Amino acid sequence: MPDLFEFLFKYRRLVYEQGDFVFAAPAVVRWWLLAAVAASAVAVASYSLARGKASPMDRTVMATLRVALLGVLLFSLLQPTLQISTVVPQQNFVGILVDDSRSMQLPDASGAARSDFIRATFTPGESELLEAMAERFSLRFFSFSSRARRIEGPGELTFDGTSTDLPAALDVAREELSGVPLSGLVMLTDGADTRGRPVTEALVPLQAAGVPVFTVGLGEEAVSPDIELGRVEMPRAVLEGSSMVVDVVVTQTGFRQTTVPVIVEDDTGILAEEEVTLGRAGEPVVTRVHFQLDRVGSRRVRFRIPTQDGERVTQNNRRDVWVEVRGEREKILYFEGEPRHEVKFLRRAIQDDDNLQVVVLQRTAPSKFLRLNVDDGDELAGGFPRTREELYRYRGLIVGSAEASFFTHDQLQMIADFVSERGGGFMMVGGRQAFSEGGWAGTPVEEILPVRLGPPPAAADRFLAELRPGLTPAGLANAAIQLGGDAEETDSLWRTLPPVTSVNRITEVKPGATTLIEGHAESLDRPQVLLAHQRYGRGKVLALTAQDTWIWQMHADIPLEDQSHETFWRQLLRWMVDGVPEPVVASVEREQVEPGEPVRLTAEIVDSTYIQVNDAQVTARITSPTGAIQEISLDWTVERDGEYTADFVPTETGDYEVEVSAARDGLTVGTDALALHTARSDDEYFGAGRRSRLLQRIAEETGGQYYTPATVGTLPDDISVTGAGVTLVEDRDLWDMPALFILMFLAMGAEWAYRRVRGLV
Amino acid sequence: MGIFSRARPLYAVLIAAASGACGSEQHAREPVDTGLLIQQAPPSARGRLSRQDADDVQLRLPPSDEPPGGRHAFYWTRAIYSGYGRRGWWGGGGRGSWATDFPKGDRQFLVVLKRLVRIDAYDFENAISLSDPNLRRFPLIYAVEVGRMDLTDEEVTGLRGFLNAGGMLLVDDFWGGREWAQFEYNIRRVLPGRPIVELPLDHPLFSAYYDIDEIKQVPAQGRGVGGIPTWERPDAQVPHVRGIFDDDGNLMVVINFNTDLGDAWEWAESPYYPLEYSTYAFEIGANMIVYGMSH
Repeated sequence: MPDLFEFLFKYRRLVYEQGDFVFAAPAVVRWWLLAAVAASAVAVASYSLARGKASPMDRTVMATLRVALLGVLLFSLLQPTLQISTVVPQQNFVGILVDDSRSMQLPDASGAARSDFIRATFTPGESELLEAMAERFSLRFFSFSSRARRIEGPGELTFDGTSTDLPAALDVAREELSGVPLSGLVMLTDGADTRGRPVTEALVPLQAAGVPVFTVGLGEEAVSPDIELGRVEMPRAVLEGSSMVVDVVVTQTGFRQTTVPVIVEDDTGILAEEEVTLGRAGEPVVTRVHFQLDRVGSRRVRFRIPTQDGERVTQNNRRDVWVEVRGEREKILYFEGEPRHEVKFLRRAIQDDDNLQVVVLQRTAPSKFLRLNVDDGDELAGGFPRTREELYRYRGLIVGSAEASFFTHDQLQMIADFVSERGGGFMMVGGRQAFSEGGWAGTPVEEILPVRLGPPPAAADRFLAELRPGLTPAGLANAAIQLGGDAEETDSLWRTLPPVTSVNRITEVKPGATTLIEGHAESLDRPQVLLAHQRYGRGKVLALTAQDTWIWQMHADIPLEDQSHETFWRQLLRWMVDGVPEPVVASVEREQVEPGEPVRLTAEIVDSTYIQVNDAQVTARITSPTGAIQEISLDWTVERDGEYTADFVPTETGDYEVEVSAARDGLTVGTDALALHTARSDDEYFGAGRRSRLLQRIAEETGGQYYTPATVGTLPDDISVTGAGVTLVEDRDLWDMPALFILMFLAMGAEWAYRRVRGLV
Repeated sequence: MGIFSRARPLYAVLIAAASGACGSEQHAREPVDTGLLIQQAPPSARGRLSRQDADDVQLRLPPSDEPPGGRHAFYWTRAIYSGYGRRGWWGGGGRGSWATDFPKGDRQFLVVLKRLVRIDAYDFENAISLSDPNLRRFPLIYAVEVGRMDLTDEEVTGLRGFLNAGGMLLVDDFWGGREWAQFEYNIRRVLPGRPIVELPLDHPLFSAYYDIDEIKQVPAQGRGVGGIPTWERPDAQVPHVRGIFDDDGNLMVVINFNTDLGDAWEWAESPYYPLEYSTYAFEIGANMIVYGMSH
């Protein structure tokens, strides 16, 4: 009730908050008042001493009321005053920042767009508010969306920006007005920041400069009814033919318990469709979609929900994600310590997968090896790699039933470094010489394993169990072990697979590791960890404790056409080497930008042993959609070893191809390619409700105020009393505030009424 | 070239094997640690050339808590099939032709195999019927005297499923055109339409462990010495190693024809059996195991 407050206390609460309270009465007046107080005390005493029909209770009440009355009178006579700094008219500037993005065109329930308020309230010559501000301040207008710029007035606004960068807008306005006395910034926006940069970065300098920001929140808190397809988590690059499980977050208002389809499609057609039942208003619902990407190249995958009847915003029903489908052959080394059927069936499981090359090194005698799928006669001719260069040629490493003592300490450390430094994928497969049974406890490799190893068991305690596989919740969510089209089918398929055996008793994973598959047997008090994984350093480590997954292919209960075994190994190996870095890794912050928007290109460069190098010559060859070629150099950033950056501005709309190559001492270190897409974005339509909390925070942390269109009328006065710039101290009398007179009348009236009731008059 | 050359004193290995665990069928077993150790009771008496169904063979599964085919990476598994048995002259037991050289040849082969190849193999024989669903737990099986094979429909179905699922069949010890025809008839019932091809010496099978540059005819015991030819029939003078492949080029069946590897394994300890042939038999046996477990 600000109006009531102002009526009672003469000024608004903000004035009290900003001002200092003092009594302005001169000293002589205060002495007289002191004498009056003494007289009052005498009067009170006379009340208590006087004889009459009043009881002591009556006298107490009446004395209290009379003292209250005198107190209010005394307070007024002391001349209470509010000392407040106010800006000097026409000597200060105010920056008015207006959101010029597309979300300002969204209509509210009445059909009026957010931009209508700006046009009505901030158009010079037509707005009382603006005139009131112009009388006191020099006004400077800025528009902001993806970039901020100075404008002459709201007439230049188009409300067509495709993204909003609030911190950038505050930075630009602050810098532009840094040379003038600035009373504050007024920000007119819905608060929908689509860049996601921390706003704190922009607030700190404003706090330091003492510039308050007055935010005006436009639009509704929630656009209803509406369905929004929110976050989509997808890797930027996948191997051709890889199965994907993508979580899609859907929120809604006004469509509670409605079931809608989430459709995934690319240029070739629909890839998947999943029904989702919407939750309560504003409550995100996560649905999981399974699909596969087959064609090599940069692919746009669109997730969409068909427009529902009555939806206010239709543009936020779809999301486009760019993903690089890689067609390379991933080379994996499988070292097996002895002949095992697992080798044969693993090879067969992936033999139709053109993207996986499993090079087998199988020890058949103490110093004799069978090499399979090698590229040439020299590969692995000396057995297991002895140098990092040799081992780091592979993207993944599998070690089967081989005892740790077979390897030298350097080789064991090299395996650990293969994961932590090179970023390779590593898997240990169960067997009589794997895990504890193979003496791996206490080695550098144990450090990277996701499971806890105990001491090697005594011969009499050798473990053997037939384990029925079952997925954990994490396993159900992991794309690598999906056997069916959805989670339910996958769960059911895993339950029907025949049991496998394990000779390695493992029941615990390390902190940070995840169990994906458990093995169950009636004879076991705790389930066996059948498959677990964790990230270690730059790489990924898996532990598969089964020794005969080939039974999922050979078992009599498995139909010949069943592909569970093949699917399991193909997906698991693809996942194991997914994201393994190459010597040159190029990236951009976002795959899709606006034409004309600067792009920072980053490359990470390592040598053949995956040590970062800072003296490489790194160049990017950029081919525009029309075929124009531009070459730019990337420079070492100094802040991080091996990191090189360069900025460029794509001006054309379409797909850019970027090839980054690095050379050192005239020798090529490596190359990497990426695609960049320039197009207008629909980001503005996501999270389109007013972000009041963000705007309140901006105002509170800078000493400003937050307004809505209904409360913005006090803005000129508020800036006057809270703003920075050239100010003077103003005394505002409080003795005549209505609240004091009301108190006096109340005290007098109460005493009179009391006397009447008690029959004392 | 492997580290084990042919000059290795294999004979010493064989002597040790013969005087040790493999030399006698009376050898006391170590505690059984697999659930699929199968033994055969004497079959019912039949006519010399009458068909003997594998179903007649009574199988006994020893009590064990361990899963079938569980602990070890490899079980040398012999296929029990129906056929025209050779009762009466094999060890007095009168078992079917599938049991030729059984179990001595199997055990002796395993002892030497484990000395030559670093393999976690079960020490004893393991026989299983082609119609038994547990056949699928042993992806590499061995069948002998397949020239006397006469599969039942259940066995045909079982073997077909086994091979199509990814199993491999090694056959051995049959000679001449008549036995070939008998085997070919049966294997075509199992894998109709799949050609039987000669395996060239540059096939990886011949270099999986040892480098084999010649296919030798391995004679039965008593042959190949003293002027007695290695072949058993006039139309069986040339040994062959043939194969049947699946659609993806994977070897499903390895056919050792006009040769008797099993006898070489069984009689390797005999001073009268030529070392040349037993050595070769162990070499190609090791190759078949290593190849069959990796391809």
